Amino acid sequence: MAIVAQHTKFSKIAWPILAWLVALIFFFPIAYMVMTSFKTDADAVKPEMLFSFTPTLENYANMTENYDYWRFATNSIITSVAATIFTLVVAVPCAYAMAFNPSRGTKDILMWMLSTKMLPAAAVLYPMIFLTKSVGLYDTHFLIVMVLSLINLPIAIWMLFTYFKDIPKDIIEAGQMDGLTTWGEVREILIPLAWGGIASTALLVFIFCWNEAYWTVRLTTTEAATLSKLIEGNRAPEGLFFGRLSAVSTAAVGPIVVLGWFCQKQLVQGLTFGAVK
Amino acid sequence: MANRTIPRLLQTPAVLLLLFWMLVPLSMTLFFSFIRYVLNNLRRPEWTSPSIDNWRGFGNYEYVWNQDAFWLAIQNSLLIVCSILFLTVALGIAVAVLINRSFPGRGMVRVLLISPFFVMPAVNAVLWINMLLDPVLGLQGIAVDAINTTIAGLKDAPLVGWFFSLWPQFEPISFRATQTSAYAVIMMVTWQWTPFAILIFMTSLQSEDQQQKEAAVLDGAGAWSQFRFLTLPHLGRPIAIVVMIQAIFHLSLYAEIEIVSRGNGNKNLPYYIGELVNNNIGAASATGIFAVILANIVAIFLLRMIGKTLME
Repeated sequence: MAIVAQHTKFSKIAWPILAWLVALIFFFPIAYMVMTSFKTDADAVKPEMLFSFTPTLENYANMTENYDYWRFATNSIITSVAATIFTLVVAVPCAYAMAFNPSRGTKDILMWMLSTKMLPAAAVLYPMIFLTKSVGLYDTHFLIVMVLSLINLPIAIWMLFTYFKDIPKDIIEAGQMDGLTTWGEVREILIPLAWGGIASTALLVFIFCWNEAYWTVRLTTTEAATLSKLIEGNRAPEGLFFGRLSAVSTAAVGPIVVLGWFCQKQLVQGLTFGAVK
Repeated sequence: MANRTIPRLLQTPAVLLLLFWMLVPLSMTLFFSFIRYVLNNLRRPEWTSPSIDNWRGFGNYEYVWNQDAFWLAIQNSLLIVCSILFLTVALGIAVAVLINRSFPGRGMVRVLLISPFFVMPAVNAVLWINMLLDPVLGLQGIAVDAINTTIAGLKDAPLVGWFFSLWPQFEPISFRATQTSAYAVIMMVTWQWTPFAILIFMTSLQSEDQQQKEAAVLDGAGAWSQFRFLTLPHLGRPIAIVVMIQAIFHLSLYAEIEIVSRGNGNKNLPYYIGELVNNNIGAASATGIFAVILANIVAIFLLRMIGKTLME
């Protein structure tokens, strides 16, 4: 009560206004991009048409023609989905074993896995180009799927580990008493109980795969190039094309931003490796 | 017996994959850093492929160490990382405290605030450098133009005209120039990562001891001293974690630097390596090893901190 009592009338009105103002400022660049995507390229650079213009869907209609959007988007979808599935297939059993049958080495293995995430990617850039070119994997979907999986594997294992750790061991032991096999335990007990955790891990891994911009740019040319590569190719001052550039950018980030809204909590856990609760 | 084997088997694929990922490319980098390996060398064709016969010892390290560009890249890396860290932590705390109470539409405010974090880095950079910061066509150019026009109009106004005639004509800033491109990168990354800091500080503020706060209020503590002596110490650990995680991510910034100015004036360590990779692999590898060392200095502290909370 004491806390509430000190709120003056002024702060009761000013506080929410300030909070909304800050939120709108942060969101403004995205809103501006979405708004510009509905202007023609000519209107987009006219100061007098900043907020008053006739909306058009022309930029979205011409996205394929202007940027070959769907080829890149398809690559992004294929590689991100495949990498998310592969990551989970490898990470779920691993995290399961670590959470329910921990040994003395478990903690060290977890820490070591995390340390692989901290290796600067640029340090191994040339070996990666060299290796993948010499075995013919450069610019293939398979390569991008593998790289995306490997860079997200530590995060996935960590997140799943923190979820599985909270499941009471007794339940698993009861399952063992009833004669369930390891696979039976996973199917009958773990997956139903940890479904939410597995789903949010998948969501977060998917978002990270989609947004990845180092390996997807450096290890592809055309075949497996993702949306990051497409946008990166438009770095030049494209003053005359703000409208179409905004449309393709909106299409590239829109679905992911919306997905992101649903996993704010998991983001904290996934990115701080459980160190902030 | 089976009790130990199955868990180990389940962990094996993940361990092997990560072991391969960590060891194979890194050992190659280490090897290349000790040999002469230059892709385009007509005079010494034997240097164009990796071989132990081209052993150079620490020669590549010495070469890189004596390059001005290397130190400039380190300096830029640190400038960019430290500025982003300072800005995101300061803004993150301020906004987290601001929204850490109930008000109408709080859920919506949270959604708006977190959104920038999910924008892909390439879009973030293209959006900022072209549409927001461009000195002519971007919002910056439009805003500066509008200010100049307004002032010019007011110069003829009665009474206050003399005041406005003292004002200079404002010039928009080009953020692709050598001196300013690093600031553009700092701005766009700060915009993207402040939401991350806000989210973590907010999560942490929710676990703050409210009874302690109420006791402090009863003792007559003002808003500032509550913040200074209760909230800030409570945020100590989250701040450390935000700083270290961001340091690791931002030490390898690449897309933003490439898009803003192709490294002109804001070349950081990964970008410098990326340029060397086009020709001098030996030097690129030695620089890579330096980058690993730099990242490890941060990583050791972070790992130690996470390790402490791991088994709780």
